[in-house]
Amino acid sequence: MKNRLWPALNLESITECTGGITVKRSRWLRLLTLVTIMTVFLAACGGGGNSNNQGSNSSGNANTNTNSGATGDAGKDKVTLTMIVSGNRAADGEDFELDILPRMVNEKFPHITLEVQKLPDDQYETNIMTKLAAGEAPDIFRIWPRMASMGVIATAKAGYLADLTDLPFQQYISQGAREDMSYDGKIYGITKGIDMLGVYYNKSLFEQVGINELPRDWEAFLAASQKLKDAGITPIVMGDKDSWWIQFGMYQIVANTLYAEDKDFDLKLQNGEAEFTDPRWVEAIAKYYDLYQKGYMASNTLALSGSQAIQMFIDGQAAMVITGTWDLPPLMNEGAAQFERGFFPLPGNDPGEPVWQAVATAAGWGVSADSKHLDVVKEVLNYWFDPSSDLFAKWVEYNPSISAFEGVPLTNEIFKDAYEQYLATGNSIYFANQMWPSGVADEMQAKFGEMIGGRNVTAEDVAAAMQKKFNELWK
Amino acid sequence: MKKTLYWFALPALLLYSVFWIYPILTLFGYSVTDYNGLVKQYNFVGLDNFRQIFDDGIAASSITTTLIYMFVFALCTNLISLGLAFLLNMKIRATGIYRTIAYIPALFSPIVVGYIWSYVFMPGSGLIATVISWFGMDGNSFNVLGNYNYALYGVISVDVWKHIGTTTVIFLAGLQTIPKELLEAGEIDGANAWQKTRYIRLPLLATSITINLTLSVINGLKAFEYPFIMTNGGPGRSTSTLVVDIFRTAFTEMQYGKAAALAVVSFVIIIVLTALLVFRLNKKEVSA
Amino acid sequence: MTDNRFLRSLPRHLFIIAILAINLLPLVIAFSSSFRSIRNMTNPLNLFSEFTLESYKAAFTRMQFPAALMNSLMMTVVAVVAVVLITAMASYPIARIDSKFSKFLYIFFLSGLVIPSQMIIIPIVKTMQGLDITSAQLRPIIMFITCSIPFSSFLYTGFIKNSVPVEVEESAVIDGAGLLRRFWQIVFPLLIPVTTAVVITQGVWIWNDFFYPMVFISKQDEFPLPLAMLGFLGDQTNPTAWNVLFAASILTSLPLLVIFGFLQKFFIAGLTVGAVKG
Repeated sequence: MKNRLWPALNLESITECTGGITVKRSRWLRLLTLVTIMTVFLAACGGGGNSNNQGSNSSGNANTNTNSGATGDAGKDKVTLTMIVSGNRAADGEDFELDILPRMVNEKFPHITLEVQKLPDDQYETNIMTKLAAGEAPDIFRIWPRMASMGVIATAKAGYLADLTDLPFQQYISQGAREDMSYDGKIYGITKGIDMLGVYYNKSLFEQVGINELPRDWEAFLAASQKLKDAGITPIVMGDKDSWWIQFGMYQIVANTLYAEDKDFDLKLQNGEAEFTDPRWVEAIAKYYDLYQKGYMASNTLALSGSQAIQMFIDGQAAMVITGTWDLPPLMNEGAAQFERGFFPLPGNDPGEPVWQAVATAAGWGVSADSKHLDVVKEVLNYWFDPSSDLFAKWVEYNPSISAFEGVPLTNEIFKDAYEQYLATGNSIYFANQMWPSGVADEMQAKFGEMIGGRNVTAEDVAAAMQKKFNELWK
Repeated sequence: MKKTLYWFALPALLLYSVFWIYPILTLFGYSVTDYNGLVKQYNFVGLDNFRQIFDDGIAASSITTTLIYMFVFALCTNLISLGLAFLLNMKIRATGIYRTIAYIPALFSPIVVGYIWSYVFMPGSGLIATVISWFGMDGNSFNVLGNYNYALYGVISVDVWKHIGTTTVIFLAGLQTIPKELLEAGEIDGANAWQKTRYIRLPLLATSITINLTLSVINGLKAFEYPFIMTNGGPGRSTSTLVVDIFRTAFTEMQYGKAAALAVVSFVIIIVLTALLVFRLNKKEVSA
Repeated sequence: MTDNRFLRSLPRHLFIIAILAINLLPLVIAFSSSFRSIRNMTNPLNLFSEFTLESYKAAFTRMQFPAALMNSLMMTVVAVVAVVLITAMASYPIARIDSKFSKFLYIFFLSGLVIPSQMIIIPIVKTMQGLDITSAQLRPIIMFITCSIPFSSFLYTGFIKNSVPVEVEESAVIDGAGLLRRFWQIVFPLLIPVTTAVVITQGVWIWNDFFYPMVFISKQDEFPLPLAMLGFLGDQTNPTAWNVLFAASILTSLPLLVIFGFLQKFFIAGLTVGAVKG
């Protein structure tokens, strides 16, 4: 008996011949092959051709206005500059880097076209490292200060950044900001501005439980949190699932327990004269953990992402959230509750001592050392960062960070007190991870996460793990 | 068959060797250097990287996590899909529609899927927590992604969810080509539904099972997107699978050489496990 | 009679519906959120609390949807067609010839499955650069094809070996047909079911892949859909506009759904082709 089984996906079966395949099929096949080959050729050769004719489109793409302005500078060759940055595109309204910058650059220099690409942080790192390794760096790209991942130091050391020390506008940038973007005495990057870490709080809830004065030391902070807890309000919410959030509280506390006494700690660390297991570091870790132990933190912060935590805050479900000036935009969104927001630095200090803040240079831009249009890039930068230019004014308007340029006024009222305190007292330190090789902060986050997760990890264990990682990475 | 037939394989072979195999060999080359992903010059360091990944436990922890992931993932995906395929196979009219619906999750990007599921797992107001509170239990204490012991399973469940569609489709195809005559012959012999399944359907499904099992084992061992997007390897390192750790070591810690060493180790493990599995399954297939 | 059958199949139907509902529920969340205004971030679990096309409009314009759609279509079609052609061809000798070399080829191709692309992206980019391939869009296409080879050759080899017996070609041999003709005119048309499977499985991941395009393409005009969508993801400065992202995802998946629905018929048709004749 013959088994008649159907030809099918990967089954042992015996096919009854279906030899009557028609001529039609093979003709169709030949046509398909032809079409494919044509398309491949078009893609390969005409790759440039397709895209140039996309014409105008509503999101203000850079390519559109090149033709109209060309007559003005008839003598100059057309140049296209590429720029890749991290971040995301503003959902509505114009995005400074993606829309305004290319447009205004093109208006001022009609022969220059600036193409900007913006990628989320994780993808950005992979992307830029791959491009640098392949020798295909964009002309301008995002750079972080000091030793953060893709920081100035590592990138300049490897020879990928162009020296920007002689550019005229550098004199208007504050010294700290310039130093943070330097390596070996030369400036290699321009920062977006200054970011501060602090605590955003719900003014209504604070009033409701009778906290009339903002806490200026650790005891007062614990007391305020206790008041909230007793009234049945969740004092603090954090998005620890995004493990980098763990840094936000930690660095402010350690600024008070350690850096207030020893600003050069990290230099000593690099020289081998100090270690993370220093009791003042352990104290900082223990203090931060205390907030979790005393129940001042929302339950299960490890399961909340940063944006979920922020959402809970603006919905009025928690009185405080610890993050930085960069998170202002989502925090100002309207949530389920209506209230006024405030901002104060987390006081990790003992009563009677001054509050030290964590204030640091933000990420910014660097220029590729191998750029084929170095002079043109410098021209653009000189225009952008010239404090009297219109592009500069626009930049300040759209910049969420506090400007590092001297004399530029603060745009956001909410940061006024903290900022003035910073300017007046100078009691501040950068975000600790900027002086560590990239990866140490990650280790701290992982270990501290284990601590919050109830895994029998002590503050000393966290410090020891950080030191071990540091030893491994510091070369 | 003439040997000239081998020329047919030339285009594929060329493309594959240049753009896949050659880079892999280069990667192995990096594993004995201290390349950090950026510098233009780097040095040969022998087996230092390998020693280090075993020393500081990163190899051990990521291998364990990955093996658990693979096992649970492969088991759940195949069992659920097999069951679903049997159900859908029972001559119900809307099978086509059901099949399309089952396939839809596969069409969405991991980023979107990861985000949505983090709302499903969110304590307090998340989807599951809300359902729990309907039954009178405390929604706030429901914590999967933030919990050391459960986070991995939470992430795996998302991966399973995404893959049910494709796996079921393959099983269905296999089921639908089982000849009716064989089943009828079984019925004549007095077999009931369960016996028909065990002795007729399952053996004839052998190839589909092999494919699906092999695929899910390999995908489990390569797991990256969901642990990365949903928990970034955390809490702590509880969801850090091999590829997550390799990615972090290479791009965050800028230790490309060390990451390459870890990649070599994971490559060996994946190949060995897959080969073992395929050989065993092939033997079973032949006997079935 | 009909009553009985209906009642009997009812629990099965319900059970399946229950499972599929669970399957789809998370996506329903995305669906309902896509109809909200851009900044409305209150609990997404309040399904369908708002209805506006604002997010869709934002997604459509910001992504430059028509251009991105064309790019996606072009890249996916080229890649998939190429995959089908070269892999089917490559699997033919492996399936037909029984020698150590063919076994080696089989394993050689298959083993490529075990390496994730993130690990070797830097060497890949260096190779591309060394070969001086200028078109930005061609590079991800090459990678799409390369990465599809392992699984596709696996499918094709298995199918040809098991379901296309040599006898089928014998009539052509007698006619004196050359190898190429034997393959393209006789064997290839029989491969419809497995070709459909390859098209569906590879087409979906290629369409949705953002990794290779992200690494190789920098001009916005050349972005395929997933890469265009990536711009909506947030970071620490700007919150992710999730509603817009969902709208974008749904827009991106729609063509796939349409094509999948259409191809389903081929799939079934392919499965039953033999049945009619047999």
